[in-house]
Amino acid sequence: MTKAELTAHITAGFTGRVQVLENNQPEPYFIVNPDDLVAFARYLHDDPALQMTFLMNLAGVDTGERFEVVYSVCSYQLKHRLLFKIQMPRDNAEFDTVMQVWPAANWYEREVWELFGMTVRNHPNLTRFLLADDWNEGFPMRKGWTGTDFIPLPDRG
Amino acid sequence: MAEELRTEDMTVNMGPQHPSTHGVCRLVLTVDGEIIRDCVPVIGFLHRAIEKMCENRTYAQCIPLMDRFEYCTSMSCNWAFCLAAEKLGDIKVPERGEYLRVIMGELNRIASHLIFVGVTPMDCGALTPFLYTFRERERIMDLFEMTCGQRLTYNYIRVGGVAKDIPPEFIPKCREFLGIFEEKIRDYEKLLVDNPIWIARNKGIGIITPQLVYDYAISGPSARASGVNFDIRKNDPYSIYDLFDFDIPLGTNGDSYDRFNVRVNEMRQSARIVAQALDQLPDGEIRAKVPLKFKPNPGEVYSRIENSRGEMGVYLVSDGGPKPFRMRARGGSYNHLQAVPHIVKGLKIADLVAIFASMDIIMPEIDR
Repeated sequence: MTKAELTAHITAGFTGRVQVLENNQPEPYFIVNPDDLVAFARYLHDDPALQMTFLMNLAGVDTGERFEVVYSVCSYQLKHRLLFKIQMPRDNAEFDTVMQVWPAANWYEREVWELFGMTVRNHPNLTRFLLADDWNEGFPMRKGWTGTDFIPLPDRG
Repeated sequence: MAEELRTEDMTVNMGPQHPSTHGVCRLVLTVDGEIIRDCVPVIGFLHRAIEKMCENRTYAQCIPLMDRFEYCTSMSCNWAFCLAAEKLGDIKVPERGEYLRVIMGELNRIASHLIFVGVTPMDCGALTPFLYTFRERERIMDLFEMTCGQRLTYNYIRVGGVAKDIPPEFIPKCREFLGIFEEKIRDYEKLLVDNPIWIARNKGIGIITPQLVYDYAISGPSARASGVNFDIRKNDPYSIYDLFDFDIPLGTNGDSYDRFNVRVNEMRQSARIVAQALDQLPDGEIRAKVPLKFKPNPGEVYSRIENSRGEMGVYLVSDGGPKPFRMRARGGSYNHLQAVPHIVKGLKIADLVAIFASMDIIMPEIDR
């Protein structure tokens, strides 16, 4: 499906609970409420016209004002793709795991938990992942994080 | 009364630093004798915080970091990052620049698959193919060296095009390599594909079903060996791949044997693409006019290319400044290693080494 067809299909199929983010990229971009995350993921995966079986990427983002989690999904069968994201307040960032829809989300969510300090509800294995086992310097991917040997480069003009 | 005999499962640490783990990885195995009951990958030994470092550097300074993201196919990593930045900055790459990118990208894919074709038999105990494949890889390294001065981390593909034009002796040398390459591929096949020991070690071992491909987001040759016809160069063409005539090799069984054959055949197709690109190579600019302090438009983009290990995707957020606001790169191995425990349960330890190799997992791409 093209970008316009995908946007029309999803706004009609997931009525009222999805917001379209306009951009000039070739794939559509949606914002969903964190409470609707699992339902939306299930809908994308199971709808016969969408069949979003391929979780390509899952990235946490700290915008400075809030936390976002961005999902990039694609269909192995139908080859189309889209992005969607959830937004959460910085002081209370909690979202549900989508592992029951895309098992590949397991490690991505562990990474978001470890590097950003967002809580992933119902995740079976939130344990130290990329960082050292005795790491106690906070959440390094947050904006404004400072570590003992982390020196921001000067901005030259 | 005779003491009752019993057995119990044993926990064995495989690595860190097992020679066949393609980087520093640790696998915690629960074994019943030789049979694997459980396998837990422990990663992070090569974590260099590339994503955090990118937030602290300009776009041009990020490209050498992407070389280190996955050093067997540095060209593709440069390319994926530049493609994302170009999408945000709305930059059109000149035609000659696109052709040079395709030539380098496909030569790099051949070089990476040559490492695979050499190293995978080594993990099964056959040392000879390694010496043969590295002889041919050396020719590609020479081509890269004469183009950009580097043999492993190239920093060649830049935002808007490529860093340098190819020297005049590149094209004859490259044609010479392509001329002998088909014969060399047949040599590898003679050594391995029809070899009964190789077949016994790999056929029917480590089967990845299409369902496992979908569940664990397996991509690239490892997915195509399971019959999942998905290649970004065909399905979501980037650059100028729609101008070339090439096939997508597919497997049927999804076992280690098919994964090997798919990659061997992919080298043939890559050689075909390089030959076509050399024939059609136009004259002109190699790089669009991009200011040194490149500032893309604010926005978000996920762009992806077909790397030799699977989908290489870059999610890039720009706030309009000279540095990326957020960069998340995704390599195929991340998902492949995640799927390994589901493939190896019930198999023997020696099979795990062969399966690990047959999926072409490389650790820097996972730890970043």
